[in-house]
Amino acid sequence: MNAWLMATCGVGACLVPCAVVCLRGKPEWRLVGFEMSGIIVAILMALYVAGTNRLAFMDLPLSEALLSFGGGLVFARFLEKHL
Amino acid sequence: MISTIQYVLLGMIVLLCWLGCIGMLRMRNPTQALNYLSFPAGIGAVLLPFAFLCLSGWSIATLKATMIALLLLASNSVVTHATARAIRVRTLGHWEPRDEDDLEYVKENQPE
Repeated sequence: MNAWLMATCGVGACLVPCAVVCLRGKPEWRLVGFEMSGIIVAILMALYVAGTNRLAFMDLPLSEALLSFGGGLVFARFLEKHL
Repeated sequence: MISTIQYVLLGMIVLLCWLGCIGMLRMRNPTQALNYLSFPAGIGAVLLPFAFLCLSGWSIATLKATMIALLLLASNSVVTHATARAIRVRTLGHWEPRDEDDLEYVKENQPE
């Protein structure tokens, strides 16, 4: 296991507190946890791609970062208007 | 030397992600917790292209890591503002500052 994969495990463990926030409490808290997990997953995927030396897959974290932006906006709007 | 810098950068990325998550978990209300999104998105993501630079030099992967960092940096501020606005509208029922709100604000055209 190289340093990149160890960093992947370290960042991946951050998803546990994100899941705790996402899965309990009010919808406002859940949205904050969801947005944090989107950022963490984008970084996690980039680290994993480098750790496994498959640099051609760098498109995946890039699309994840882009989609988490759109997803966050949609859920924020939904929380404001409809929930 | 380069591998040492790479290890330090990776350690800082992990540390910043943990700092953001623990800070988010410890806050009293969601608006305060939103501030902690900036640790991984604002600082952690910016360190990522430098770590890729140490790994593969000037390559397509470094360019894509730079794009990820720029995207997270730009989108984080927009998403944070949109979420804070949504939380305020949901809590108070409106967005504009009003006199009856239990929040302190500076009124427009007020002499200092």
